[in-house]
Amino acid sequence: MQYKAPLETYTGRIKEVIIGRGAIAVKIGGENILPLHYFEGTAVNRTVIALEVDDNSAAGWAGWVVEPFKDVVSDPIKWARRCMELGADLICLHMESTDPQGANRPAEEAAALVKEMLSKVDAPLIVYGCGDEKKDVEVLTRVAEACKGENLLLGPAVKENYEAIARAVSENGHCIIAQTPIDINLEKELNVKLLKQLPPQRIVIDPLSSALGYGMEYSFTIMERTKQIGVIHGDMAMQIPIIADLGGECWKTHYAKANGEQGILWEGITAMSLLLAGANILVLRHPDNCRMVKEAIEGKF
Amino acid sequence: MAIKGTDIVKKLPEGGKKNCKECGLPTCFAFAMKLASGGITLGKCPYISPVVKAELEDALSPPIRPVIMGTGANAITAGDEQVLYRHEKTFVHQPGIAVLISDDEPEAEIQDKIRKFKELQFSWVGKTLRADMLALRHKPGDPARYEALVKRILAATDCPLLLMSENIDTLLSAHSICAERKPLLYPVTPANVEKIVPAVKVKPSPVTAKADNINGLVPITNRLKEAGIEDVFLDPGSMDLQSAIRDQTLIRRAALKQSFRPLGYPTVAFPCLMAKDRKREMLLASLFVVKYAGIIVLSHLDEHSLLPLLVQRLNIYTDPRMPMSMEENIYPINNPDASSPVLITTNWALTYFLVAAEIESSKVPSWLCVKEAGGLGVLTAWAAGKFSGDSIAPFIRKCSIESKINHRRLIIPGKVARIRHELTEALPDWEIIVGPGDANEIPAYLPNLVKSWKR
Amino acid sequence: MILIGENIHIISKVIGEAIRNRDAGPIQSLAKAQTEAGADYLDLNLGPARKDPEQAGGWLVETVQEVTDLPISLDTMNHVAMEAGLKICQKRPILNSASGKADSKAYMMPLAVKYNTSVIISVLTDQGCPPDVDSRVESIMDTIACAGGLGIKTEDIWVDPIILPVSADQKQVREALEFIKILPDLLPGVKSLIGLSNLSNGAPTPLRGVLNRTYMIMMEKYGLYSAIVDVLDPELMELNRGGLPEVRELIHKVMDGAHIDMAALSERECNYVKTARVLLGESLYSHAWLES
Repeated sequence: MQYKAPLETYTGRIKEVIIGRGAIAVKIGGENILPLHYFEGTAVNRTVIALEVDDNSAAGWAGWVVEPFKDVVSDPIKWARRCMELGADLICLHMESTDPQGANRPAEEAAALVKEMLSKVDAPLIVYGCGDEKKDVEVLTRVAEACKGENLLLGPAVKENYEAIARAVSENGHCIIAQTPIDINLEKELNVKLLKQLPPQRIVIDPLSSALGYGMEYSFTIMERTKQIGVIHGDMAMQIPIIADLGGECWKTHYAKANGEQGILWEGITAMSLLLAGANILVLRHPDNCRMVKEAIEGKF
Repeated sequence: MAIKGTDIVKKLPEGGKKNCKECGLPTCFAFAMKLASGGITLGKCPYISPVVKAELEDALSPPIRPVIMGTGANAITAGDEQVLYRHEKTFVHQPGIAVLISDDEPEAEIQDKIRKFKELQFSWVGKTLRADMLALRHKPGDPARYEALVKRILAATDCPLLLMSENIDTLLSAHSICAERKPLLYPVTPANVEKIVPAVKVKPSPVTAKADNINGLVPITNRLKEAGIEDVFLDPGSMDLQSAIRDQTLIRRAALKQSFRPLGYPTVAFPCLMAKDRKREMLLASLFVVKYAGIIVLSHLDEHSLLPLLVQRLNIYTDPRMPMSMEENIYPINNPDASSPVLITTNWALTYFLVAAEIESSKVPSWLCVKEAGGLGVLTAWAAGKFSGDSIAPFIRKCSIESKINHRRLIIPGKVARIRHELTEALPDWEIIVGPGDANEIPAYLPNLVKSWKR
Repeated sequence: MILIGENIHIISKVIGEAIRNRDAGPIQSLAKAQTEAGADYLDLNLGPARKDPEQAGGWLVETVQEVTDLPISLDTMNHVAMEAGLKICQKRPILNSASGKADSKAYMMPLAVKYNTSVIISVLTDQGCPPDVDSRVESIMDTIACAGGLGIKTEDIWVDPIILPVSADQKQVREALEFIKILPDLLPGVKSLIGLSNLSNGAPTPLRGVLNRTYMIMMEKYGLYSAIVDVLDPELMELNRGGLPEVRELIHKVMDGAHIDMAALSERECNYVKTARVLLGESLYSHAWLES
């Protein structure tokens, strides 16, 4: 029997999503191949890496990952610039200080910070609210309005609050992060609902990333399935790029905090796994992983 | 894919309609289904022709051969995988993790590797995680030095061995020293296969076919199979990440989707020879865990880099159909004492990790009672009748938490607030407190609760 | 197919209370309604029946038999309640159910023999629900061999492949369908049954009906003998009688993989087609499956 390389081609294609404007914009998605399967097609856009910036001076962050930024963590603008210098493709700004159970910073201030960052840092921006359903609507709406037309990637929009956020996103020219709690059926449902308010090119899926050892395999499998249902089975509601916001999850674990080397690999291995599962954006904290995972993506390993 | 019952039945006597029942099953169809699931042997049917029998035997054998290395309690099985993606069913055999020792390494390094290989074991959710094998590599030069290394390792550990030598005589000589330990031999190439065959026929041992690309593997495995040697691993010679992804994927696809027997074997991967530094090596190793490798060879062992890889391997190879569970127990967190709060949750590993982590970050010393609930999350367990008043009460009584504390207050997950009444009835001497609905509210909740108790 | 009315069920607030308080009214009212709707059997679901099982079992059967001549399917995991009820059934009852679990083999199967009942035998084992066709086959063959050994006749066995909610485990929906399809070849002469409504557990309430009805038609095509259903769903009953032939035809078309021109269909017909595709696993389930 002769060997014939079992290459595969698929009819489904992930929608291309653009984040940011002008020269600094990045494109994600657009692929009709499985993750890193460059041997049987082209990626169109390779997975990009976002470094995380927190608006709360990295309160509670593991020391190992504050270290490379220790002189800038209290200034999100400087911190973001440093991230771009270190090779990030985008900045992921987590608005932790808006948490009503924490500093409860008002939406206006949050919006002002984002606007300032846009003007001072040449980087496409992802903006995550604190995860409080009600506060996030306020904050993300204000951010969307204040930065009208800037094509930010805003979220999380969840089943309980997506309509208002989608409206703000739609009216102000941005993209939305559709977040569901590790449930592929809910993920599809949220997409179907969002597709009534937004075109697919403005949606990114966040199925929730869990850290290595803390449920990573659940995120992994959902991402794999999502990608395959879109690319192989042609389900249009799933032909949408995926974001893996994994940095925070990894660095809050006991194991990452215990030792710097271990922490870097805790994040790095989670990143590699979710990259292989289908993540189009990886949100990381440690610059070493930004560098190494990028090399892996670019095939320089 | 493995052949299905519905395909087998057509090949049975009278097109699967004979239904003579002599195999012990009511119909040929039932026999076919049982054959497909591996619950009965072809021999039970007295009427299959030898030709069809051979055909079915071949079709029924696993598309990726199960291969065993080593012997005894430490033997490792690789292969026998049935899917490309874990969600299709599950991955079966975790890749063996080997650390490479070359015979030209300084003595101190060799000693250190042996020591670490033995000592680096980690406890994780009731399992012990560790590296599994040693790869012993001969660098051209002194065959006696290689022999000495092999003998030394044989004495130091029982683990399975991967013997690597480009010099066939040195390889076979090492093999003959330890053949009864079934070491994996590396490499078999067209240049040396005729010498390997007789040696392995006399003293059976698994072997690794090596080529510069996938195509090159086919004539080697064909020749081996012809000689009756089927305990084979494959090394397609990938030297970078992209080639590795391609080769591992194509081999797995060929075996499962094309039923291409010449590639129906597990693979060996060498991140130790591919990466430019240790961290990148571990990232590469993690890629091989996801992408099908049967053995992954590392250049070094280090506590802080080995654990993440072992945990990832465990995660990816967990059966997605079965939730990981914790043992039913009381877990002390932050050094609790008799006055510390008591919380209860189910034994799904994920729930445990989340809740335990949040309690830990609250810094409040607490007792976390983990109740057996089929490995289900809180709500699912409740719906299945495994986390209710009449099952929690006996658990509280028998788990001896009552002897550890001087109060009777139990905090239940907010998601099952509805069981409060029935639990109060079942545990009349306890106060049942409904805790937060989400684990991430615990760090705010617990300190406030404890403060309120002090008043 | 034979339809067994599901509505007298301990989980219903009204019925649960009525059983606890021995209040015949609500139960008899439902028994009459289901009889009028055309049920062939009435399922009486006592659940775990922890309080006064003997009394509860007997009382429930007696109460129902006062107002209807329909034969009864008695549904409880409690063998004391089961026995008490079976004892006084006037028509040949169905024991709902036995399974491959050790307890069931020990306590339930002998009751089927003792009272000469029909018996629903499910694929469940002490390990839970088998995750695919092959493991269901494995399980049922063993369990039925055991039943046969006790003297239970094949034609008195109604095999239940266990239906799981499509929103919880979509893959199982098709596995159960495939299992029913091959059942006659596996065990000639055996009957089959499903608990239809479990399919739509967890789905948005107004949409449960179309899920249930679609699956019933699909199962019917593969020869399903009976189902426990909501007989008070008039569209379901009409379909079972042979009504709405265009709906049946559409569902069959989806199953055969034939091309369907959705633009030519009414909204109701589109819904049946979309539902059939989801149930076959051709499209990933979401609660919004009718919206896309």
